[in-house]
Amino acid sequence: MSNSKNTILSLRNVKKHFPIKEGVFQNVVGQVHAVDGVSFDIGAGETVGLVGESGCGKTTIGRCVSGLEPLTDGDIFFDLTPEKLVALEDFEKHQSEIKNKYLIDEIQSTSNISKIEGDDFYNYRRNCQMVFQDSFSSLSPRQLVSDIVSRPLKIHKVCADNELIPRTIELLEQVGLGKQHLYRFPHQFSGGQRQRISIARALALDPKLIVLDEPTSALDVSVQAQILNLLHDLQKQRGLSYLFITHNLSVIRHMADKIVVMYLGKVVEAGKTEDIFANPQHPYTKALLAASPDLSEDVMSDMAALDGPIPDPARPPQGCSFRTRCPVSRTECGWEVDDIIRRLEHHETLIDSIKSVHQPDAFNAKLTFETSFSAIELKDAIGTNDIPKQMRKAIKKIEVDGNDVNISFDPVQTVPLVQSDNGSLSRCVLANK
Amino acid sequence: MKKNAQNAGIDEVNFNDSAFKVRLKRNLEILSNVLANPTTVLGLIIVILMLAMAIFAPVITEPNTPDPYQMPRDWKAARSAPLTPGHILGTTNRGGDVFYGVVWGARTSLKLSILVVTLTVVLGVIIGSVAGIVGGKVDEILMRIVDVFLSIPELIFALAIAAILGPSFTNIILALVIVFWVKYARIMRAQVIRIKQREYVDAAKIMGASKLQIYLKDILPNSFSPVMVQATLDMGNIVLVGATLSFIGLSEAGIAEWGVLVSEGQAGISAGRWWASTFPGLMVFLWALAFNLVGDGLRDVLDPRTETKR
Ligand SMILES: Nc1ncnc2c1ncn2[C@@H]1O[C@H](COP(=O)(O)OP(=O)(O)OP(=O)(O)O)[C@@H](O)[C@H]1O
Ligand code: SF4
Ligand SMILES: [Mg+2]
Repeated sequence: MSNSKNTILSLRNVKKHFPIKEGVFQNVVGQVHAVDGVSFDIGAGETVGLVGESGCGKTTIGRCVSGLEPLTDGDIFFDLTPEKLVALEDFEKHQSEIKNKYLIDEIQSTSNISKIEGDDFYNYRRNCQMVFQDSFSSLSPRQLVSDIVSRPLKIHKVCADNELIPRTIELLEQVGLGKQHLYRFPHQFSGGQRQRISIARALALDPKLIVLDEPTSALDVSVQAQILNLLHDLQKQRGLSYLFITHNLSVIRHMADKIVVMYLGKVVEAGKTEDIFANPQHPYTKALLAASPDLSEDVMSDMAALDGPIPDPARPPQGCSFRTRCPVSRTECGWEVDDIIRRLEHHETLIDSIKSVHQPDAFNAKLTFETSFSAIELKDAIGTNDIPKQMRKAIKKIEVDGNDVNISFDPVQTVPLVQSDNGSLSRCVLANK
Repeated sequence: MKKNAQNAGIDEVNFNDSAFKVRLKRNLEILSNVLANPTTVLGLIIVILMLAMAIFAPVITEPNTPDPYQMPRDWKAARSAPLTPGHILGTTNRGGDVFYGVVWGARTSLKLSILVVTLTVVLGVIIGSVAGIVGGKVDEILMRIVDVFLSIPELIFALAIAAILGPSFTNIILALVIVFWVKYARIMRAQVIRIKQREYVDAAKIMGASKLQIYLKDILPNSFSPVMVQATLDMGNIVLVGATLSFIGLSEAGIAEWGVLVSEGQAGISAGRWWASTFPGLMVFLWALAFNLVGDGLRDVLDPRTETKR
C-alpha cells in the first residue's frame, strides 16, 4: 500500500476519555469513551471522510488531531515519509526485535504530535489548521476580517508588517472574497461568506492538513455546493490534505478519497470511497446508506433503517458495540447482562422490583428481587420474544435461587477490524466468515 | 478562480474604508441605538448635568479654603431659608451653605463612585478571570467565598465593615470596595467560562496564539459588556449606599457630601426647615436614578441576545 507520497497524518490506537465529575469535590465517577482506539492514515493531498451519527466522537478526533485535546492513549504522527511509516508498522508488529531503534526514536521525537516541542511543534501548528461548523462562533464578533485573517501571519511572523494587508487581500481573493471585505465585522456577512473567511484564516499559514468539522452542514444547499467546490479547488491548487468530518453521506461521497465510519468511538468500517458505496460491509454502514434517501437506490434497500437509542458512551457495550441496534445480530456478537435490562425496560413492575444488582463484570450478574415471584417472572420474560433468539442463545447460565437470579454470558473480546475481500476494513463477525 | 457573484451579500462597496473608520462607525451605531430610548436619554442628560456640576464646582461656587471639601460655615446666617441672598438654597442649623454642599457633594460622589467602581472592577475582573480560566479547585474555593459575600445584604454588610473600620470617608470607600467586587467576579467568571468555549478561542489556539494573547484579544473584549453595564449601574448604587453610611454618621462630619448634609439637616425638619435635607436627598435620588437609567439602556443594546438579532 505504501507509495512515494508522505503520510500527512497517522492515528494509531487513539483514545480520548472524558472524566465524568460529580459533587462539590468533583469526584470522577466514570469516563465517557468519546474516542476508543481509532487508527487511520491520511496521505498527502488526500481527503479522508469521517462519518457517523451524532455523538460518535468525530469532533473529538478532529480536536485531538489539531492539538486542542491531549490524548488519553495512543499516538498521532504527523508527516511521515514512506520509510518511517513502514518502520513504525514494523515496530508495532514485532515490538521485541528493535531493529531500527534509532529511527523509531527519531519518529517519536520529531513526528509524534504529543511529544514534539519547540520548533517542531511550531511547525506542526503552521501545518494543521481547522475549520469549524458554526461560522458565527468561530469568528470573534469584535475583530475585523483584516484582523482575523492576518492574525496567523502576525503570530508566525510570516511577513513584514507592510506586507500583511496585501497578503490578507490575496487570501481573501483565493476564497472568493475581495479587498472590499477587509474592514468588515463578521456579522455583516452571510453564513457562506463567513465560512469563506474561516477558510482564508486556515489557509494563511499554508498548511498541509486542514480539519474540516462539518464545514457546510449549517449552510443552504446551494451555498453548500459553492463551498465544497471551493475546498475542492483549493485542494488541487495547493495539494492540501483534508480530514473531512460530516454526517452527510452525499457530501462525503463527493469529497472523500477514503472513508472512516465510526460508531460509539470506534471505527466500524474503513476503506476507499467507491468500495464503501458500492459494497458496504458493516451492517451499520449499510443502515446509514439506507437512511440517506438520495443515495439509497444503488444500495440494498432491504436494510432496516436505524432505530433505537445509541448506548451511553460512558458504558460502551462489549463485543460488538452496534449489536443493540443491529438488525442481523448473531449469537456470537458479544451479549451481556445490560442487554437483558435494556430489552426489558418496558416491564416497569418487573424492573422496579429489582432490589439490588451485584455485577462483578459485564457478563455475570446476580439480580436480587423483592419477591421470588418476580425472580421467576424475569426468567420467564427471557423466554419471550422480548429477548431475540440469538441473544438468548448466548446466555450460558440462568438460575433462580429464591429471590435471586444468577445470569452469566460467555465472555467475548471486542470484535476486531478485519480486511474483507474488497480491501476495506470492517468490524463485524459476519465479515470474518 | 471563482471570484464572481459571491461578493453580493454586502451592499455598499467602499474601497476607502479603513479599520479606524469602520470601528468608529460601529461605535456610533451602538451609541445611536442607546440614544433611541428616551428614558436612557433622560438619564444621560441628568448624568451629564451632574458631571458638569462636579467638574465645574470651583467655577460655580468659590472653593472653601483651605479644604474645599469641607463645608464653609456662616454662623451668622444659620437657618436661613432658600432664596436668601448669598444662600440660594438656604443654610443648615450650623450655617452650612446647602448650595455649596449640593455642588461640591457632586464632586465627592463622583470621586467616590469612580474610585470604588475602578477598584471593584479591577479586583472582580482579575478574580473572576482566574476562577473561570483556571477552573477546578481554585474556582470552587473562589466561588464559595463569593457566595458567602453575596449572601449578606449589601447595605448591612457595608455598614458592618464601615462600623468596624471606624468613621472616615476612606473607610467608606474601603467598605464599598469590599462589598461591591463580588458581583464583578461572578459576572466575569460566567463570561469567561462562556467565551472560552467559543470556537474562535480554539482557532486562536490552533494558530499558536499565546495564552496571554488569547485572554487579552479574544476572551476579555468579548466578556466585557455585562461588566460595563454593571459598572454603570453601580456608579449610581455606590453613591446611594455611600450616602446612607454617611447619613448614619460613618463618614467625617462636616464634609461636603450629600449623606452628611441630609443628616445635618435632619434636626431642622421637625421645625419646618425642610430644605437642608431635601435638596441633597434629591441629588442622591437623581444621581442613582440617572445612572440606573443609562445602565438599563446599555444593557438593552449590549445584551448578546439583542446583538445577534441585528
Ligand atoms: N469536553 C467534553 N467533556 C465531556 N464529554 C465530552 C466532551 N466533548 C465531547 N464529549 C462527549 O464525547 C462524545 C463524542 O462527542 P463528539 O462531539 O466528538 O461527537 P460528534 O461525533 O462530533 O457528534 P456531532 O455529530 O453531534 O457533532 C459525546 O458523547 C460527547 O458528549
Ligand atoms: S458483529 Fe456484525 S452482526 Fe454482530 S451485532 Fe455487530 S454488526 Fe451486527
Ligand atoms: Mg461534532
